[in-house]
Amino acid sequence: MSSLSRRNFMKLGMAGGALLAAGEGLKGSALAGSMKLQMGGRDFSPETGSERKAIPTACWSCVTRCAAMGFVEDGRLVKMESNPASIRTEGKMCSKGQSGINDVYFPDRILYPMKRAGERGEGKWKRISWDDALTELSGRMKKLRDDGHPEKFMFHYGRMKASSSKLIKSVFLKGYGTKTIGGHTSICEGGKWTAHELTWGGHYDNWDFDKTDFVLNFGSNVFETHTNHIPTSHRLIRAMVERGVRLVTFDVRLSNTAAKSNEWVPIKPGTDCAVILAMCNVVLNKGLYKGKGEAFMKFVKATENHNASVADKIAALKKHCANYTPAWASRISGVSASKIESLAVEFGKAKTACLVSYRGTAAHYNGNEAERACKMLASLTGNIDNPGGRCKAVGAGWKYPHLPKSSKAPVTKGLNVTNGHPDKGHPQHSAFPSHGMCQSVLKMIKSGHAGRPEIYMWYCYNPVYVNGENDENREIMKTIPYLVTSNIVYDESSKLADLILPDATYLERYDWEDMVDPNQIGEHYIRQALVKPLGESEDLGDTCIKLAERMGFPLGVKSKKEFVQKSCDTTPGVKEAGGFAYMQKHGVWHPPDKKPYYYRYKNVIPASATKKDGVIYDEVTGVYWNWKKSKAKSEAEAKKKGYSHTGNAAKAYVGQKIGDTVYEVFKPDKIPKSGYLELYSMLMKEKGFNPLPTWMEAPEHKTMGPDDLIMTTYKVAVHIHSRSAHRKWASEIYHDNPGWINTKTAAARGISDGDRIKVKSRISEIVTTARVTEKIVPGIIAISYHVGREESGRYGSGKKSPMGHDNDPDLKNMWWNTHGQHPNFIIPNTPDPVNGQQAWMDTVVTVTKA
Amino acid sequence: MRKSPPVKGGDFFKTDMCLNGILPERNTYNSNTIKKGNHMTKKMIETAKQRSNIYGLLSLIYRAEINMELLNHIKEPGFLAVLSEMGAGLGDDFMNRPEEDLIEDLAVEYTRLFLGPGKHISPHESIHHERDDGDWGQFWGKSTVEIKKFIETAGLEYKDDFTGLPDHISVELEFMQKASAREAQAREEGSNDELLYCLKMERKFIDEHLLKWVPVFCDKIISEAELSFYREIAKVTKHFMEFEEEEISKYISEAEKAVNQK
Repeated sequence: MSSLSRRNFMKLGMAGGALLAAGEGLKGSALAGSMKLQMGGRDFSPETGSERKAIPTACWSCVTRCAAMGFVEDGRLVKMESNPASIRTEGKMCSKGQSGINDVYFPDRILYPMKRAGERGEGKWKRISWDDALTELSGRMKKLRDDGHPEKFMFHYGRMKASSSKLIKSVFLKGYGTKTIGGHTSICEGGKWTAHELTWGGHYDNWDFDKTDFVLNFGSNVFETHTNHIPTSHRLIRAMVERGVRLVTFDVRLSNTAAKSNEWVPIKPGTDCAVILAMCNVVLNKGLYKGKGEAFMKFVKATENHNASVADKIAALKKHCANYTPAWASRISGVSASKIESLAVEFGKAKTACLVSYRGTAAHYNGNEAERACKMLASLTGNIDNPGGRCKAVGAGWKYPHLPKSSKAPVTKGLNVTNGHPDKGHPQHSAFPSHGMCQSVLKMIKSGHAGRPEIYMWYCYNPVYVNGENDENREIMKTIPYLVTSNIVYDESSKLADLILPDATYLERYDWEDMVDPNQIGEHYIRQALVKPLGESEDLGDTCIKLAERMGFPLGVKSKKEFVQKSCDTTPGVKEAGGFAYMQKHGVWHPPDKKPYYYRYKNVIPASATKKDGVIYDEVTGVYWNWKKSKAKSEAEAKKKGYSHTGNAAKAYVGQKIGDTVYEVFKPDKIPKSGYLELYSMLMKEKGFNPLPTWMEAPEHKTMGPDDLIMTTYKVAVHIHSRSAHRKWASEIYHDNPGWINTKTAAARGISDGDRIKVKSRISEIVTTARVTEKIVPGIIAISYHVGREESGRYGSGKKSPMGHDNDPDLKNMWWNTHGQHPNFIIPNTPDPVNGQQAWMDTVVTVTKA
Repeated sequence: MRKSPPVKGGDFFKTDMCLNGILPERNTYNSNTIKKGNHMTKKMIETAKQRSNIYGLLSLIYRAEINMELLNHIKEPGFLAVLSEMGAGLGDDFMNRPEEDLIEDLAVEYTRLFLGPGKHISPHESIHHERDDGDWGQFWGKSTVEIKKFIETAGLEYKDDFTGLPDHISVELEFMQKASAREAQAREEGSNDELLYCLKMERKFIDEHLLKWVPVFCDKIISEAELSFYREIAKVTKHFMEFEEEEISKYISEAEKAVNQK
């Protein structure tokens, strides 16, 4: 054959193409359908040719808990994707979600129950059987319960949500009888939630990026990390790219969010509150509240008098904000007065505008006030719970199997160690620790004023590493009689334990899930085991079921899977759709005809509801409430104490009288505020704070010397806070965390890029590396979390765990040998005085060449 | 249910979302789009389309006896010129036979070569693909199962009215017709990740299936054919396989380069 050139083949192709296109009689074929590449329910590996089974599940890397799809090849989990059917994620998944499969197969994973064989922290372990582990733990727990001291068993968790939380907290621990239960929210963003509870009732807030026209962002790194990360971030980028929505970000650091914003406004740390107050001043003085802002003020409490007119409210706020001028805020924040003014005008004039705030704003001494100020700015411009604004979040509601009556705890008690110190003036005291005070738990245990636990069990949490003052945490932990954890990784805390139970990863267990839906509709979704738990690992939910059985109070289900199955088969909507079988197949479900939820505050409460038995009117607040649902013993007592001062009154709320109508308005949650969105808080006033959002400066910032800097922290896109250093993909990308320092600040200290530096706070010092950059404001140093691990296996710390194996070929490919420096050693455990939030971003330090 | 509109433009997450060892896949935001209008790109799109056409044409020819419509197309001067340029010289038995007779001749030849009765060259992979494990030489062998699984896991399915075996040569060629068309689409959309994925799939199919038996199959036709048409088509098919073997690796290294460049 003479000319087999490429040219000739192309000619043959064209002739063939013409022929194929020509006649109907030539079109018969054997194959139908369209070729799918990597997408959807069926997939196969181009490398091995094996078919992949796609199983819908849910992520658990961060709290967003996106609906996901796991691909299993010959029994091995090989890939994570998003679930394209999810209305929250719309088929998107972040890098954290994708690296989740490393959780299952990393070589330092804990796969068997381990009992301490040497001194605490020495690293000597003995593998024991599950039967021995359960016998030991249930024996110790049962003794406390039988002795009438269930409270001496303390359970402290990091991430525990939805069905995991319900089964362990609301069923198992309830049946056991301990109320000594700590969460981690105050070292996350709990203060923001408390500020929400003081103003508009419950948390979360949902930022309606799909419908907004302008986004003003204070301290949220929404493109890299967020409580509802992918569902919100992909909508925000879409709004920007497709609709030209402007995003302006205030941050001390050029985060990737700031970099992707239309404008980055550098700001001194801890001063967002001043800028937001000044923006309120501009909105009030320029009359930008007129229109939808003014209309919304009907539902706002801005003065002591709950019957105040809108004009009175505006006047009161004008008076309150009079001194918060842009020039004043400029001196505090370093942001120019003209910038504050122009952005306030842009925000006030936008058809709809979304005010975003997160830990950059909330994790400060004055975080509560900054968040309340946000509510003021959003209220004054009518951007609350409206399309395009800052909305009350909607999640999915589930039914679940409750604790059988026969298994009720004989005694229920708690140690008061989870909410900080009760004495006002104590450094670990806060007025409204509605999300606990995680960072002070060990200090409270040390002080012993409220008693000490005999058994301290933690889960999905690393008390030594994730709070401030790491060295002290370790020492206090060692004094607790018995330490037990369920974990997948040998970390800074589990190395101190007496007993380690091998937890199943989230990819090996069942859950139902409920996280916020940005559509304001609510999506039900489940997590299901993609592969069998590796080794002898087991979901703590299943372990609790077995422990309860051994202690004689069976939980009514035989497995976590059954718990989830029963939830699916009884929850309205999910049940009709096909229950557990449907959810196993599809992973997600949402009510098909439900409209997005906005303006819930306008709902009118029918007169009949205010006339029900037990419902009384509270003159002081204008609230109708059902005293029988509160802790009041009689109507007389309820009336005498009043709504705001009766135990459990928030749960007894019926409605708020505004004019002649009773509205649902903003229902209280944990704090018995009135129904109004309370910019003016009587409860705060009673605790000695200004009732209206007010500028407060962190005490240690007032006394800073000329050489002092403020240290802030941040998260990066590829890591979960403290639960991903062992993931090889994540740590390959990010394993070192030099301190970011501005060129001028560094030069004044003779520091060059790459120098070793000493960072010293009032409690301790660390040595790390300087990254000299213009991407950060002068006068601060920023050090991220995630890395600087003492343990967590070879990929995270370079150290092999005692139970590690060498069967991961990538161990040979690990090219990095730096593991960063954790900043928390030098961060004091300091709460926001109002809400107990750990003030992560306020630490005063000196930085010198090491 | 809300449907997400496609995200246009934007290379957000470019560095953060590409993890070592896994492709960024569809859930990135068109992270590595090839510049439109690039001359090379257009040429590659064209190449993929023409390859798809060749597979389609060959699939059609091997699928069944040639009907009059197809014969008329083949006999067009333009088409014959292309064949002749490739050195596929069709003899008198094709060029100078009256069409009614030729159709009959070709049908007899097709039947004799591919269907039997008697000694024939069955156009199925499992007959010709000499496997190391010895599982070959019969219908519905291991190769048949592999082909079916391969095709189905790529998202395609056998039509209800297709009654042949899954590894018939026309099916395998049709699969490649669709795969290279999908490749052309990925090139047009500028999706380098999909392109690379598609090319790897094509290479796997070519290396592990087509090349394992089609050249042998063609050699058998070349030596057994009595009419020039099937002999010459077998030659074209065999040489096209060689062309494919050479080209596909080039495409893959180019696509890998493009993915790594982002």
